[in-house]
Amino acid sequence: MSAAMRNPAAKPETADGPVVAVRDLRAWYRLRLFGVDREVKAVDGITFEVRKDEIYGLAGESSSGKSTLVKTIAGAMRPPLEIVGGEIQFSFMDGTMGLNRAPADLVERVRWRHLSYVMQGSMSVLNPVRRIGTSFFDFAFRHMGLDKAGFEAAVVAHLARVNLPASVLKAYPHELSGGMRQRVTIALATICRPQFIIADEPTTALDVVVQKDVLAMFRSIQREMASSVLFVTHDMGVHAHLTDRLGIMYAGRLVEEARTPDVFARPRHPYTRHLIHSLPRIGDDRPRSGLEGTPPSLANPPSGCRFHPRCAFATERCRVEVPPMEQVAPDHRVACFEKDRVEATP
Amino acid sequence: MTGALLELDSVSKTFTRGGLFSRTQVEAVIDVSFRLEAAKPEIFSIIGESGSGKSTLARIILALQTPTRGVARFKGRDLATLRDGADRHAFMAAVQPVFQNPFEAFNPLKRLDRYLYATCQRFAGAKTETAMQEGADKALRQVGLSLAEVKGRYPHELSGGQLQRVAIARALASGPSLLIADEPVSMVDASLRASIVNLFRKLRDELGLSIIYITHDLATAYSISDRIIIMQKGQVVESGDARTILADPKHPYSRTLKESVLEPLAPGERPLFAR
Ligand SMILES: Nc1ncnc2c1ncn2[C@@H]1O[C@H](COP(=O)(O)OP(=O)(O)O)[C@@H](O)[C@H]1O
Ligand SMILES: Nc1ncnc2c1ncn2[C@@H]1O[C@H](COP(=O)(O)OP(=O)(O)O)[C@@H](O)[C@H]1O
Ligand SMILES: [Mg+2]
Ligand SMILES: [Mg+2]
Repeated sequence: MSAAMRNPAAKPETADGPVVAVRDLRAWYRLRLFGVDREVKAVDGITFEVRKDEIYGLAGESSSGKSTLVKTIAGAMRPPLEIVGGEIQFSFMDGTMGLNRAPADLVERVRWRHLSYVMQGSMSVLNPVRRIGTSFFDFAFRHMGLDKAGFEAAVVAHLARVNLPASVLKAYPHELSGGMRQRVTIALATICRPQFIIADEPTTALDVVVQKDVLAMFRSIQREMASSVLFVTHDMGVHAHLTDRLGIMYAGRLVEEARTPDVFARPRHPYTRHLIHSLPRIGDDRPRSGLEGTPPSLANPPSGCRFHPRCAFATERCRVEVPPMEQVAPDHRVACFEKDRVEATP
Repeated sequence: MTGALLELDSVSKTFTRGGLFSRTQVEAVIDVSFRLEAAKPEIFSIIGESGSGKSTLARIILALQTPTRGVARFKGRDLATLRDGADRHAFMAAVQPVFQNPFEAFNPLKRLDRYLYATCQRFAGAKTETAMQEGADKALRQVGLSLAEVKGRYPHELSGGQLQRVAIARALASGPSLLIADEPVSMVDASLRASIVNLFRKLRDELGLSIIYITHDLATAYSISDRIIIMQKGQVVESGDARTILADPKHPYSRTLKESVLEPLAPGERPLFAR
């Protein structure tokens, strides 16, 4: 991409290499409460890649570490969150720590143009005392190479894709509903057509009808630019319809990853299986069950496989050893000692 | 007992917004009628997008707001005539809300058991420490917890699912006959959603509770509800048996809603946003 080459921050892109490669990443919240140190191991040994030209989905129950993982990749960490180990390598810049510890001017050049991040919760990047139109100007104008009139026309056209009228440009954030603010945030993150978009639960607060339009927009922008999207949601229905590959997190670790249809058709990890079987469907009267047992504490996670206390397949080995992610089929990795037994069980 | 537990008769609610010169009227609820039978506990769902008037309807049923037109009755009593004091007290014991987001509903600095003791004391006539503990334990057991698990704990010490159960137990502690659950599952994953839905079903079957379940999630509404109403801009556009309606909605708006639900694909089905 010519823009990437012009940017001094960018290194020449390898043709089809991943846009980001994450290796054995560990990011913990290190807290000191009442004189006692406490470490919340929210991301604890995660390895995966987001390829060029794909939407990679991340799923998992709440508190499994999804937001922490993407915050770390987006370079949006704040104390007490720290990287404890591992690497983050982007195609568009050098180094193995991604945006973390990068100089401010480099971060500035990479943001919006190469990487943009839609945080969970809608107020995030919007400045409460600036009109929406001003925020667009601040973030995007210098990246777009258009004159003022051309820029405004581009912004208005882009807002229409998320079903927002041009009049929102004159509004202040608090004058918009939560759903509208969320769509403004999404429009901001996508207007510069960055190579890599990270979006954390971007549609969870939206109504289903609007959600559908917003998801369609994510796909069309991704397709136009052959760009990459890391899309986080706990909603498996969204993953089924949008993402190309899907990673399942449990208690700070990735437990399974495959092409999205394979995750649904052939889940190999007991947790993934449970997740798929608990989904309600209109017209299907089969009873669903919730997961038994207590959710794991990330400050004091279970030994061995973190899912073992809630797993019907667990053996002594699962209680002691950490199962590694292993390839079981093309593009399909699972971290489970009992994966063959799981697969053989109807 | 025969007759209606809850009856809404052409209920409307209009809000006036804006300042001196630019007043606008918002018709939040328009001419809504339905009836829950006392003899037939059920899960009755109110479905609609945000702004469709669901929470306004909930507040009317909880007697927190009065209708602009029409009548809402609980066990034959017009809620607009409830007076403060013993009257309202008895009503509040019988009709309880379930907090929407338990993370926000509970004060982080307040022990969870205190919420249960307060409800037992206020509504269930528990006068002694022992009576309050017994009441709290009973309510917690109805949701699959126990006082031993909750006693002395603060909100951050429990998981989202456990907190959600404590919120339901708190509502049960007054011995209600109707629960109003406004979007209790909107932010939680499918597994937790399934546990909550199963719990509601159990409360209906074992305690004979009626539950008004307010949601925009059609799939969960399908799996849990006996009857539903679908609201659009304050009006009920379709109502009746949940399975019949959701299997084959008739109103264009209900159809749009159903078509927008993203469910896992059936074999051979194409994703909506395929590459
Ligand atoms: N600022 C923080 N300080 C301490 N712990 C945190 C903080 N933010 C999140 N956590 C903890 O990290 C874990 C993972 O949280 P999060 O990444 O938000 O999960 P998810 O996005 O999957 O719901 C949770 O146990 C959460 O309580
Ligand atoms: N106290 C109020 N004052 C003014 N307008 C209100 C008030 N409460 C609700 N509304 C309006 O009534 C409509 C219905 O709101 P609500 O009942 O909260 O819908 P829902 O719960 O379905 O999202 C909305 O347009 C909302 O802005
Ligand atoms: Mg999150
Ligand atoms: Mg509401």
